[in-house]
Amino acid sequence: MTALRPVRGVRGIALLAMVLLAALAFPWVFRLPYHRDLAIKVFLYAMLAQAWNILAGYCGQISLGHAVFFGTGAYTSTVLQMTWGMNPWVGLLAGVVLAVALSLLIGYPCFRLRGHYFAIATIAIGEIVQTLAINWDFIGGARGLTLTIQKDSLLAFQFHTSKYPYYYIMLGLLTLCLLVSWRIERTRLGYYLRAIREDPEAAASVGIPVAKYKQIAMAISAAFVAAGGTFYAQYVLYLDPDSVLPLSLSILVCVLGVVGGTGTLWGPLVGAALLIPLSEFTRITLGGTGRAADLVIYGALLTGVAVFQPAGLVGLIGRRQG
Amino acid sequence: MFAIPPPDVLIQGILSGILMGFVYALIAAGLSLIFGLMEIVNFAHGEFLMLSMYTAFWMYALFALDPLLSVPICAAVLFALGWLSYAGIIRRILGGPMLAQIFATFGLAIFLRSAAQFLWTPDFRQVGEAWIQGPVRILGISVGLPQVVASAACLIAFGILYWFITGTETGMALEATAQDRQAAALMGINTERMFALGWGLGSACVGVAGAFLASFFYVFPHVGGLFALIAYVTVALGGFGSVPGSLVAGVIIGVIEVLGGLLIAPAFKYVAVFVLYLIVVLLRPQGLLGKF
Amino acid sequence: MAVATVLSLVTAPLAQTKEVVIGVLYPMTGPVAQVGIDSVNAIKVALDIINNDMNINVPLGKGAGLPRLGGAKVRIVVVDHQGKPDIGLAEAERLITQEKVQALFGAYFSSVTNTASQVAERMGIPYLNAESSSPALTERGFKWFFRTSPHDGHFSLAMFDFMRDFEKKRGIKFKSVAILNEDTQFGADSAKVQEELAKRYGYEVAAKIPFRTGTTSLDAEIGRLKAANADVLLPSIYTSDAILFTRTARNLDYNPKAIIAQNAGYTDPRFVTDMGKEAEGAITRAPFALDLAAKKPLIPVINDMFKKLSGGRDISDVPARAFTGFLTLADAINRAGSTDPMAIQKALVETNIPADQLIMPWTGVKFDEKGQNAGVRAILQQLQGGVYHTIYPFELATKEPIYPIPAWSQRR
Repeated sequence: MTALRPVRGVRGIALLAMVLLAALAFPWVFRLPYHRDLAIKVFLYAMLAQAWNILAGYCGQISLGHAVFFGTGAYTSTVLQMTWGMNPWVGLLAGVVLAVALSLLIGYPCFRLRGHYFAIATIAIGEIVQTLAINWDFIGGARGLTLTIQKDSLLAFQFHTSKYPYYYIMLGLLTLCLLVSWRIERTRLGYYLRAIREDPEAAASVGIPVAKYKQIAMAISAAFVAAGGTFYAQYVLYLDPDSVLPLSLSILVCVLGVVGGTGTLWGPLVGAALLIPLSEFTRITLGGTGRAADLVIYGALLTGVAVFQPAGLVGLIGRRQG
Repeated sequence: MFAIPPPDVLIQGILSGILMGFVYALIAAGLSLIFGLMEIVNFAHGEFLMLSMYTAFWMYALFALDPLLSVPICAAVLFALGWLSYAGIIRRILGGPMLAQIFATFGLAIFLRSAAQFLWTPDFRQVGEAWIQGPVRILGISVGLPQVVASAACLIAFGILYWFITGTETGMALEATAQDRQAAALMGINTERMFALGWGLGSACVGVAGAFLASFFYVFPHVGGLFALIAYVTVALGGFGSVPGSLVAGVIIGVIEVLGGLLIAPAFKYVAVFVLYLIVVLLRPQGLLGKF
Repeated sequence: MAVATVLSLVTAPLAQTKEVVIGVLYPMTGPVAQVGIDSVNAIKVALDIINNDMNINVPLGKGAGLPRLGGAKVRIVVVDHQGKPDIGLAEAERLITQEKVQALFGAYFSSVTNTASQVAERMGIPYLNAESSSPALTERGFKWFFRTSPHDGHFSLAMFDFMRDFEKKRGIKFKSVAILNEDTQFGADSAKVQEELAKRYGYEVAAKIPFRTGTTSLDAEIGRLKAANADVLLPSIYTSDAILFTRTARNLDYNPKAIIAQNAGYTDPRFVTDMGKEAEGAITRAPFALDLAAKKPLIPVINDMFKKLSGGRDISDVPARAFTGFLTLADAINRAGSTDPMAIQKALVETNIPADQLIMPWTGVKFDEKGQNAGVRAILQQLQGGVYHTIYPFELATKEPIYPIPAWSQRR
């Protein structure tokens, strides 16, 4: 499962340039806050899914509790900001550091576990962290934290008059994540990760330090997810355990990655670009009646992809064999 | 936060924990059975439980059937569901990549949960007037009659399951397939049939548990979530693949849940349970009685 | 001819405002979807009254449409925020910039009301909240946010005032309270306020028990409550937990002398139907009291209109507040005589709706400088014989309180 084939050579570069140009121009064409918000959400979830992909797709470690890193990022930068007045950008870095530390804490014991056990362990950890957050008054507990509104400024990481800055920051973060993934794919790190995914015992037997590279993958993954968390906090200006730590977020990230295509560069983005608007569409058209139509589709897609086309949508486009 | 409650409260709690533990055990047994056969965790197990509870509820709401009477119906419906899940989905991903194995049932879980919400709304449903309700005194301690009946039924179901596996030819074939798939095939056992049977039986266990739960617990699309998580922990503790292990583990988990709540704080009762899972899989991956 | 031309010149600007659009945000999916559905139905009853000529003594009851806007009709755009603050934010923006609503209304969850009203404040659009309970919402110094409903602070205050007044009345003394709350924002907010008030009123907090909503059993929680043995239990829990709690309390023989609930589950009609007998003696704060129909003839009229839309369900606490809040908003827009946001804001500030035009047991609707309705009055009701009766304030009471709650063995 490697990068989408068309993105090679001159034709590939031209296509890439067009996509980038379109992304840059989007907010000038679509000026309504709602459309920009949709695009921002697509970019955010695409980045989260791609980050998850680094651990699950490239390295084969299926995490079902990735929301812990999102929450770590969001809470760290927010608490530092509100308690000690720390600048949110510095807070973002602090959140990343904490998330990486957390990933080491989780990875060290848990990477010994195989497939299913590891997955369940990540769910358990997610639940533990969410329960702790709900009962920890210092970080607001169940009541959450409302960020103090400040004047528009890049320094304060808050923009109220328009969404342009949020859009470009998120696009930047996504691009960075994609670049990092691309580099991983083409270097020895990617080779090791793939080897670990395909056959950990064989990889160990040829001398690859399996645990170390799993940790690296998880650390990179956690870093981006945490950055996304800080972005979310600065964008919505309110957070509580239910919005940044829930199992449903972990699940969503998996769905986008799997349906789009794990182990690929473009899979999660394709997944997000398709499923997030779909979700919005069903919510607006059917939402008033109280039914979870989009989730029904997600579930069916997830199973369908797992059974028939594990390479995901990208696999379909690239016409790979499974 | 730490506080020792008076002895009568403590004993009452432990008794309640044991009773609930039998229910957890039966739910876990189904999961364990499936895993023992083909090393696949059914991530939709909680949703199977939810569907069983809904079945019992609709039997009550539409036909005035008390959940007690719905037990065979729920078991049959869930058996069919398990069998179909195997035939339609699981069969195709056996031996496939880990990703496919996890997400095939994970997707099924999301699908079933959301479909339930779509069809029956997220409203909480309750069996209003079950035959079995109210308290009962055991050795002078007051506990819920529905819980007593549920746990007794789950124990009986356990007994039947155990007898089936060890005492009947089909059951022994099932066990043989779990021990060594290739050897079983060589002996002429139709492993495909065994897998489907395993899924059917495992789901039927959940069906029975669900019918009894419906008599005292409320039903809604997401009800399976927490029960499933507890089931995973139970299976891990008892040993993936060991049905008797589920029984022991279920009771232990039930008691730990209550004791964690009584002695530490109710807000953290499930944290205690999840931490236990982590400790078990890290220190003793084969659990108490499992083969690994 | 000339007269007609002059008349048309005068009426033309008014006639141009054919309709007024209000954006309505509620959770229409997820575990509390029923609340959203009920509230929207209640708003539809209000719309019916506003847009059609009826002879009902509520604001805008008479006449079709908004009289001071040339009979303009009111229309709502309903959105489902799924309980997510970020969706609430995005939807508020969409409603304002695309649907061009004149005002926003909703959103039940305090967390969503928080973010959605921030958008309104930023964009200078009035936001009327009829039912979110977090006191913090009116402590933000917002100029565009108005809340008609009482919040947790008022309700909890009423509970403690009741305890103190009841002590005097009966010559008894409560020593301790126990707080039981589910662990989402609603429960956490409520528990915090109650803990503070308990200290202020001099009651010992014998136990503070937050629990995970949707828990598989409440055995441990009730065990702790038994051990704490408080005189009064103060639960803030939703319907399903309330039902499980009541049943488990019966099974484990837990029976405090008094239960004073922060409504939610306890006022859900389903709880009353399923648990009415087991929950005998439970007291709850109630923003709305159906049994005050005798004193307020408006109530059965509105209730009948509601039942037609709801398939027979009685109007209850949350939809009743939605109904009242919506009429307040429409009334303000009418008094503003225009759809200019600043005019509507000014009209809201000047709101003064008298008690007899409300179905709520309040002294009126009049906003203080923080945007909070100062005319709110919380009442307490008690389940007696399977039906809620108002017991406090004593001058509004229809029945005497039952105290203490009879032991399980003495019931039935």
